[in-house]
Amino acid sequence: MRNVAHGFPRRRSVKREGGSPAFAALKGRATIGVSAVALFLAAWEIAPRLGIVDPFFTSLPSRVLLAGVEVLRSGTLAHDVLVSLTEFGSGFALALAVAIPLGLLLGAFPTLRDLIDPPVMALYATPQLALLPIFVLWLGIGMGSKIAVVFLGAAIPVVVNTIAGVRQVDRSLVLAARAFCATRRDVFVRVILPAALPAVMVGIRLGVSRAILGVVVAEMYVSQNGIGNQIMRLGSAFRVDRLLVYVLLVSVFGLAMTTLVRRLEERLA
Amino acid sequence: MRARAVLLGALSFAVILAAWEIVSRAGLISPFFISRPTLIAAAIGQSARSGDLAQSVGVTLAEFGAGFGAAIVVGLALGVAAGWFSVVEYAIDPFIWFVYSAPLIAFYPLFVLWLGLGPGTVIAISFLLSVTPITVNTLTGIRNVSPTLQVAARSFGARPQDVLWKVVLPASVPMIAAGLRLGIGRALTGVVIAELFVPSGGLGSSIAYNGGLLRTTEMLASLMVIVVLGVLCTQALSAVESHFDSWRTGPGL
Repeated sequence: MRNVAHGFPRRRSVKREGGSPAFAALKGRATIGVSAVALFLAAWEIAPRLGIVDPFFTSLPSRVLLAGVEVLRSGTLAHDVLVSLTEFGSGFALALAVAIPLGLLLGAFPTLRDLIDPPVMALYATPQLALLPIFVLWLGIGMGSKIAVVFLGAAIPVVVNTIAGVRQVDRSLVLAARAFCATRRDVFVRVILPAALPAVMVGIRLGVSRAILGVVVAEMYVSQNGIGNQIMRLGSAFRVDRLLVYVLLVSVFGLAMTTLVRRLEERLA
Repeated sequence: MRARAVLLGALSFAVILAAWEIVSRAGLISPFFISRPTLIAAAIGQSARSGDLAQSVGVTLAEFGAGFGAAIVVGLALGVAAGWFSVVEYAIDPFIWFVYSAPLIAFYPLFVLWLGLGPGTVIAISFLLSVTPITVNTLTGIRNVSPTLQVAARSFGARPQDVLWKVVLPASVPMIAAGLRLGIGRALTGVVIAELFVPSGGLGSSIAYNGGLLRTTEMLASLMVIVVLGVLCTQALSAVESHFDSWRTGPGL
């Protein structure tokens, strides 16, 4: 086996006959989860009010809520979101356009793989965000350097997982298809591609979270607008309440994207 | 076959380095932007002689070790607890998802307030980034252990702790190892990102410092050292993994 990280595995829900015990379990799960969060929020609200911790350091949930309303009303949010989304979208699209064909090619041709694999694996093992200052030197402080970071962060896991996906295809399937007179093209399109798809999707899911972190870190490092830029400003000003609003926003986006890819995975699998 | 792969891999690195050197020397791309391998090697050699290299590698490794070590301890403990007791799993689930999907580096100004401008902040970010995959994979690994194995052990008189130590944990090794592998990458990422923002004397800080001064050669020298560290970490984990998983006789189960 190659060194391929699997990401979060899909949770296996236990299916029971009749459905009602499963529903009860789900209800129990939601109740416990909600109460744990409520408990956390209550402690967070009460501890600063009792003077156990300094609210300057932690803010309060009620203040974060108010700050959320302020941020939504202020009107600057749309612009920052647009900039960050553009960087994320173009970098990610570019990554898919390059990484999937490259991965398929490297998976299919062993010699090419032996040649290109070592540098790719070296990049895979490296925190790609360490390249950020170099990208800024090459591409400036605008969108270019952010798109490059997103591209690299998303492309590497997709390439690595696509290669693994192609290599894991059952040889007997390929032989069977060949025995039934499938052309090389047929084998590739109808056997290898569908069989490799789940691994490619895992790569995409890993890539999504790296790409989102990449946008935010790159904008925090140096930029003139975008969500990361706001986070940096608010952080330096120690506006913890507003900072948390932006952080929550990015978290929700990340969660939504990961869920989306997971749904796609389930539909395709 | 194996020798051929090694040869082709070495060839590939040699071609990249040679092309880089030639392009830079011929002036096709200014060395200001890309430096060149010989200059970078010289810079690494010089910082190795002066002791700067050992110091910044030491700082980065210490932060990485502390962050990842804490993540292993906490992640395994939480993962086992959540895998064994459903209540724990349901209670920590929302928090895990938040920590997993939040851009944790955004909290660094807060960590600086709490822990100071230095290694504490770097360790905290590295810990938070790497603790989630370890927890979730441990939990999933324990959940997915075949119930038949557990029932069999119980019917031969095993106590619950025997089932946990002798059946469930060994059977979850591949999942846990996958979690550690994800965690190791994220811990290193966390250290390097945090060092870009927080001057701690480590390799990431050195990249940010030299980047600010537009000293491309020194910046790339630190980057190369990080690449080597990343590769070494991944290799080390593969070795550990095959050691703990050596009891497994064949595929399937």
